[in-house]
Amino acid sequence: MTRLGFVIESKACIACHSCAVACKVENNLPDEVWWNRILTDGGPNMDSPAGTYPNLSISTVPMACQHCENPACVKVCPVGATYKDAETGVVRQDYDKCIGCRMCVAACPYTGVRNFNWEEPKYAIGQPMGALDIPVHEKHVVEKCTMCWHRLAKGEQPACIEPCPARIRHFGDFDDPNSEVSKLVRENECSQLLEDRGTNPSVYYVM
Amino acid sequence: MTETTAAVAAKGGKGVTAGIIIAAIVAAIGIALWVVQMSGGMIQTAMRNLDSWGLYITMFMFFVGLSAGGLIISSVPKAFGIKGFGGISKVAVMTSIAATVGAIGFVVVDMGQPLRVWELFVYSNLGSPLMWDIIVLMVYLILSCVYLWAQIAAEKGKVSHAALRVISVVALVCAVMVHSVTAWIFGLQQSHEMWHTALLAPWFVSSALVCGTGLVICAAVALRAAGYLTWEQANLVKLAKLLAVFLLVDLYFFGCDLLTEGFPAASGAEIVSMLVSGPLAPFFWGEIVLSVLAVIICVVPQLRTSPLLAAAGIAAILAIFCKRVQLLVGGFQVANIDWPAVLTPYTVTDWEGNMAQAYQGLVYWPTPIEFGIALGVVGLSFLVFFLGLKLLPLKPADE
Repeated sequence: MTRLGFVIESKACIACHSCAVACKVENNLPDEVWWNRILTDGGPNMDSPAGTYPNLSISTVPMACQHCENPACVKVCPVGATYKDAETGVVRQDYDKCIGCRMCVAACPYTGVRNFNWEEPKYAIGQPMGALDIPVHEKHVVEKCTMCWHRLAKGEQPACIEPCPARIRHFGDFDDPNSEVSKLVRENECSQLLEDRGTNPSVYYVM
Repeated sequence: MTETTAAVAAKGGKGVTAGIIIAAIVAAIGIALWVVQMSGGMIQTAMRNLDSWGLYITMFMFFVGLSAGGLIISSVPKAFGIKGFGGISKVAVMTSIAATVGAIGFVVVDMGQPLRVWELFVYSNLGSPLMWDIIVLMVYLILSCVYLWAQIAAEKGKVSHAALRVISVVALVCAVMVHSVTAWIFGLQQSHEMWHTALLAPWFVSSALVCGTGLVICAAVALRAAGYLTWEQANLVKLAKLLAVFLLVDLYFFGCDLLTEGFPAASGAEIVSMLVSGPLAPFFWGEIVLSVLAVIICVVPQLRTSPLLAAAGIAAILAIFCKRVQLLVGGFQVANIDWPAVLTPYTVTDWEGNMAQAYQGLVYWPTPIEFGIALGVVGLSFLVFFLGLKLLPLKPADE
């Protein structure tokens, strides 16, 4: 079996948002849509610290779909438009099947990783960007991180991995004990987001 | 009353015809607005990624609840062979049918891709609580219609009383299921602390009994005042006492839930303070005050006049509406992960500030188009009810 996922050494994240931009370009995401976002654990605004000078603190958590081993979204979709790929463990979304009920959005504990296209997709530049083999974005359906399914099919890594200048994003198979991600999980103190919900995400953080 | 005016009153007369016309116009405006919502996009609503359901699903819950009373009040006496509430049985079931049609309508207007509704029957994921609800709701609607037909046929001697009793029992079981399953759409989600409680299903049944009974009281009092049917005051008082019991059970469940949430003084305390003194306080206290007022009217004999009892019925209905708002908006009001990130017009209704500002007041408040469409679906329900009064023999048979 294969269980693809990420290890993100977020303690060394420099909050440059490069992975978020790479995701947006690669997947030709419409205006207002971000599948991968950089969360700030600090002050009230994005990239702002908590506290008053000189006692400031800030940390950063890049967050997209957690590709849970026990996904809450898959169970509740009435038509099976969101489903877990048995081969890879990737949680996938079929735009053509989605009826737009947004039950998965309500069911997902990871606030904001699922996006509903609230209108006809619009693009800031007049032409498509990124990969040629991605599914076309549709109005009134739910979408989210695909783990760059189109790249996985070609044996490539997701687009968010390589552009990271701090090299904190790692991708691989957790079911393979010799993979880089398995080693990282063994050798570091890792945590998953909202572990108490029992979803067992395939994204581990070194916080 | 001469024979001709009696015949006119039996059909409902001019009042019902006017009602049909008004309801049809309101429903048509609603459909037109729905077309606008679909073509221009649901960005015209206030729903967003972090508050992905709104007025439509609130009204869906509310209308499923309203559909309860009629069927249960009509079927319980028949199922258990006890004395009923007089000649309102068929009118009561008609309110159920109308409310169920409304509930289905609210699911449809909430869907992003209503043209794909057929997929529900082809690709059914039988593990989804939403799928359970769709199945139970369809069965419930069909059963309500069958039950109404059986009552009319039984009066003509075409259906035996034993058969009617069997249908009553099946309808009763289905009514309890439809509320439980609607609760499970919310209650089985570990993502929203406010929703994730085993109490939710029985609580939905009690809330449904409150607003359903309230609706039957209002409908019966109004139809009696309009001369459509005669109904003994004693039966109204019986229903009012029942309403008081249902209200007290509902408030008891509310108390149990608040105590369980708040007592550990952990994350649940945030939900209690959101309800008691936070953004949802008007709906929380609204529910409590309206419920208590309705109970007082129902239990104090001197207050049990027809207008006051109708007011109690309305208060009970509004109280449960407040409950539905608390449940839906409250579920979204506490974000699991509230760390700030990039906010766009798709993220949250009030996206122009930061996360804390978006959650300062109510995280969601409907836009005018949502009110318009919701009013249209309500109009559709009234249209179904008035058409039933006009076209079906819903008057008590013994008159």
